[in-house]
Amino acid sequence: MKLNYQNRIALTAGLMLTTFLAVAAALWLPKIDHAVEVSDAMIVLDITDSMNVEDATWQGETLSRMDAAKQIARDMLQDMPCGSKAGLAVFSEARSLILINPVEVCNNYNDLTNMLEMINPPLAWVRSSEVSKAVFTAIRQMRAVDPKPSIVFITDGHESPPVHPELYPKFPGTPGEIAGVLVGVGGDELMPIPKTNEEGEIEGVWDVNDVMHQDVYASQRGDLAEENARKPRTEHLSEQKRSHLADLANRVGFGFVSSPSNSKAIFNALKDKAETRLETVKFDPYHWFAGLALLLFLLVYLPYSLLGGRSD
Amino acid sequence: MWHWSAPLWLWLLPVVLLPWLSHNTEKRIVWSALVPADPISTSLTLLIKGLGSLTLAALIVGLAGPYSPEQITERQGRGAEFIIMLDRSRSMDEAFARQPLNTLPTERKPQRRKREIAGEYLFEFIDSRPDDRFAYLMFSNQATQLLPLSYNKTTVKAVVQAGRLGKGLSKTNIVDALTMAAEMYQGEPYRGSRNVLLISDGGETLTREEEQFLTDLYQDMQLNIYWIYLKSNQGMSLEPGDDEPLMWSDLPERKLHESFNRMAVPYTPLEAGTLEEFTAAVNAIDREQYAPLIVEQRLPREPHQDIFLIIALIGSGLLFVSYLYTLIGVRQAYRQ
Repeated sequence: MKLNYQNRIALTAGLMLTTFLAVAAALWLPKIDHAVEVSDAMIVLDITDSMNVEDATWQGETLSRMDAAKQIARDMLQDMPCGSKAGLAVFSEARSLILINPVEVCNNYNDLTNMLEMINPPLAWVRSSEVSKAVFTAIRQMRAVDPKPSIVFITDGHESPPVHPELYPKFPGTPGEIAGVLVGVGGDELMPIPKTNEEGEIEGVWDVNDVMHQDVYASQRGDLAEENARKPRTEHLSEQKRSHLADLANRVGFGFVSSPSNSKAIFNALKDKAETRLETVKFDPYHWFAGLALLLFLLVYLPYSLLGGRSD
Repeated sequence: MWHWSAPLWLWLLPVVLLPWLSHNTEKRIVWSALVPADPISTSLTLLIKGLGSLTLAALIVGLAGPYSPEQITERQGRGAEFIIMLDRSRSMDEAFARQPLNTLPTERKPQRRKREIAGEYLFEFIDSRPDDRFAYLMFSNQATQLLPLSYNKTTVKAVVQAGRLGKGLSKTNIVDALTMAAEMYQGEPYRGSRNVLLISDGGETLTREEEQFLTDLYQDMQLNIYWIYLKSNQGMSLEPGDDEPLMWSDLPERKLHESFNRMAVPYTPLEAGTLEEFTAAVNAIDREQYAPLIVEQRLPREPHQDIFLIIALIGSGLLFVSYLYTLIGVRQAYRQ
């Protein structure tokens, strides 16, 4: 295509006019309502003693399970889209204690991350760790929250006292009524567990004679005493209990993610399950129009010889 | 200073030179000496090129999204600062203000838990006080600072709501909690009335040393103590009565009340035995605490791209007019 002088001037004038209109659009077109699908999450962190074990990994670093759990939670708060809500809870004894109901993540990001910093094992109120029951209470309490958040339960799966494989705590609900995911942290080697005192300070480690090695039912059976004595006594040590967590997840209709390297794996596990709602976000289209204006304006000055040459 | 929301665009700035390098809108002529010297034309050409550069620059800067970041200013307001200390011990799960055991129930009233009622009223109280700064301290046998002093009502209310869910924790340790509450004001400039709002149903016997320690700390920090005492039993009061069971004089809440009275710290006990009394207690605080207060206000980030877009608009508008004029001139010239 060859352009003569007259056409070039006409084209330039036309481009200038469209630029003018695009800039006007960028300035004065109203913001567009844009619906984004969001879902809420209640992040429950295990704060029992076994979380003090330093055998978890996060992005190539070895750190305590507690710190790994916090990193995972922080990563989630960062990656949740604006408009979705997040809450925080801690687990000790046999239940989950909700610290804050879900609040919008972007506007309250500072408070949420500050509160996450405050979560530490000294917060624990009783020195036992019944993961299954804590998951059940988390589910029960989330029924009262509207809209229902999904539960992200970060734990190493250590049950103390241990549970009986058949006489399992009963789950008083329907699996899947609340969506959720169990997130396992910790390594695969059995490690000694730091022991905390009433003030939450670490004092040595849990000794082999400090903890129950059988579940309450087996330990009360006098006739099994001999058999019990033969069983390995390792409940004072802890690793990430993958099979237990997978089994527990199955019982309550949760997903299970083991040692995620970022929050993506958790969001993937929640996808299709989590209750979602549409949140309207105001979107200002000024970038698009200003960008278009710039492109058109540059066309005026680009050498036409590159596009097809010119003739005078 | 300005910040940029998309600073990468600024790398495009060298293209503002394009109008000076491009010859798209010029007519190639055989010999430039044939063109009559015309100073007005020359300056007009310069002007048009300059306008082109200016428009390009304005568009690029506008796209880079300049803004002034969020700013915090202070203004005079009315209100107070509160640290909410809500007891999460297990006794708070019990019924609020039941009738004394020796009375016959005349009508069946639905029993509600103390923690639920406290949460509900706190929620309303926070809502009704626009300028106040709130912090939240959760305590049972351990005290934990859940929220530092902040103006963010959303999070305080969400924490109060969460406090209503589930069951209580173990026992109450008030000394630790009171100490931590005072420490939350450490390093804060004095802005106005500072209060610790204790909502609890139980007490604790303080030793003389603990009393002295708390008195020094609270005087130093200029704090007032409010205690909304939730009665489990309607007949019981913090002040000893004449005709009451002997056992009551040794109750931990009585002991704490006595300690607070002994401490030379402004202290207001508010006893709530019925829902009406609870409302009155909350309203009493509401009335008392309207002293001048320095309030921090967050000014949202302010975008500045519009001014650049307006420059670009004027620039492209003028250029359009000039090229339209050129076009008309050229058309006429070709027609001849």
